[in-house]
Amino acid sequence: MPVITTSYRLLKAAFQSLGRNAWLAIATIIVLVLALTSVNLLVGVNVLIVNAAKTLEDKVDVTIFFKRDTKPELVTSAKFFLSGLPQVASADLLQADESLAKFKERHAGDAQVLAALNELDDNPLGATVRVKARNTSDYPFIMETLKNPQFADAIESKTYDDHADAIENIQHIGERARTVGLGLIGVFGVIAILIVFNAIRVAIYTQREEIGIMRLVGASSLYVRAPYVIQGLLLALFAVAITGGLIVLALPSIESSLRPLFGGDSGLSAFFYTSWPQLAAIEGGALALLVAVTSWIAAGRYLKR
Amino acid sequence: MISLKNVSKIYSPHINSLVDVSLEIGQGEFVSIVGQSGAGKTTLAKLLIADERPTRGVIELGGWDITRIRRREIPMLRRQIGIVFQDFKLLQKKTVYENVAFALEVAGEPGRRVREIVPQVLKIVGLDEKGGRYPMQLSGGEQQRVVIARSLVHRPKILLADEPTGNLDALNTQDIIDLLRKINEFGTTIVLVTHNREVVNALHRRVVTLADGRIVSDEKHGKYRIG
Repeated sequence: MPVITTSYRLLKAAFQSLGRNAWLAIATIIVLVLALTSVNLLVGVNVLIVNAAKTLEDKVDVTIFFKRDTKPELVTSAKFFLSGLPQVASADLLQADESLAKFKERHAGDAQVLAALNELDDNPLGATVRVKARNTSDYPFIMETLKNPQFADAIESKTYDDHADAIENIQHIGERARTVGLGLIGVFGVIAILIVFNAIRVAIYTQREEIGIMRLVGASSLYVRAPYVIQGLLLALFAVAITGGLIVLALPSIESSLRPLFGGDSGLSAFFYTSWPQLAAIEGGALALLVAVTSWIAAGRYLKR
Repeated sequence: MISLKNVSKIYSPHINSLVDVSLEIGQGEFVSIVGQSGAGKTTLAKLLIADERPTRGVIELGGWDITRIRRREIPMLRRQIGIVFQDFKLLQKKTVYENVAFALEVAGEPGRRVREIVPQVLKIVGLDEKGGRYPMQLSGGEQQRVVIARSLVHRPKILLADEPTGNLDALNTQDIIDLLRKINEFGTTIVLVTHNREVVNALHRRVVTLADGRIVSDEKHGKYRIG
């Protein structure tokens, strides 16, 4: 049997069947789109939760206050020591006079505070180093390194001592958000698989008599099954394209409604625009495989004879 | 052409559909298989198209032992036997032309052959003007003629018709029987499973009568003798 002729006939049969069972095809596509949308909705929610946790994590930093009489060279060497740690993202130094200038600038409108400052002969503020870690889990280690006798005696206080619990909580929220999000995607993925499996089975069930007739007139099992598998793949392709279109249409309005909550870009659009090839490949591939296998098995049920 | 040797089909210990049936049908014969409901007529038809397997015995078609035919060989068998059923079994979403062409396409016939043969067989059954219609747009008699046209595309040596006139009125019944006669005249063996007394008596051909799964009579120019 010439392969090209057979392939052409199988493709033609698949397209013809799609056209002549248009309502069934539309119903199946809707089910597939709903399944894909629910999975993508959870992917989006997970991205938002992770981004929210990351935003909180980014806002965390620790300030180290040095004693007033600490030599600037020691503070500078502490800054370089901290900057050299792989766990540290940034370490910003403010020498004592810069701290004072900043303080005055911050309280420029407060005459009483400025007057009180003028009463003092010396600068009451010491130097400060503001440290930002790469991960919130790194702060305890960074704080531990500051117990180095070279610096320990020169340190007046650290804000970490006040924020340690809050930092730990944020860290837990971030980790839990990632785990729960992935778990929910997994659960919804399984539900989506069951829905798709049943939708395809029902679609083929309605055509069981046709399958019996095809078999009766001498169609081989491949000849009967292939158009259903091709149809399934086409439906999956349509569903992926429609879901992609819906996401593109919905993203701007979702993004604008999230902007006030995040105080800026939520990162949702950026995620979908940069990750769409991977998402399409994973979701489309999984759906195509699921639909093809289901179609093959479901059509096979009516091929027993 | 068709040979059944001591064939039995037992569905369960208490349901014997066919019991020790032996039958020889020669090339070009027109044989009516008659019997009351439950006599085993349809089981016999199903055995001939490998829709069922015999519990015991041997079935041969044109020298091909189909007793233990493999599933993948069934399509080949069905391309060699024309099959006509009471309930037509047409693909409702395909046109008359497509229904007939489908039987050729599944066998891998090139498009040129399909375009050549389908109009020919549609002309034989008198439906050359209705190739573009869907089955639901045809009368019962016309639908049965489409089925016959479909069964003819492979020029089968055997045509098995299981109650082909069961859903038809007297006029259409006569048309279909005339068509089967015409096909038989071209040399095709016809096995007609029926319980239509008038049809059998009018044919005046070989009649095999089944009762309780056994052959109770086999007459060269028989009549319908049940009830």
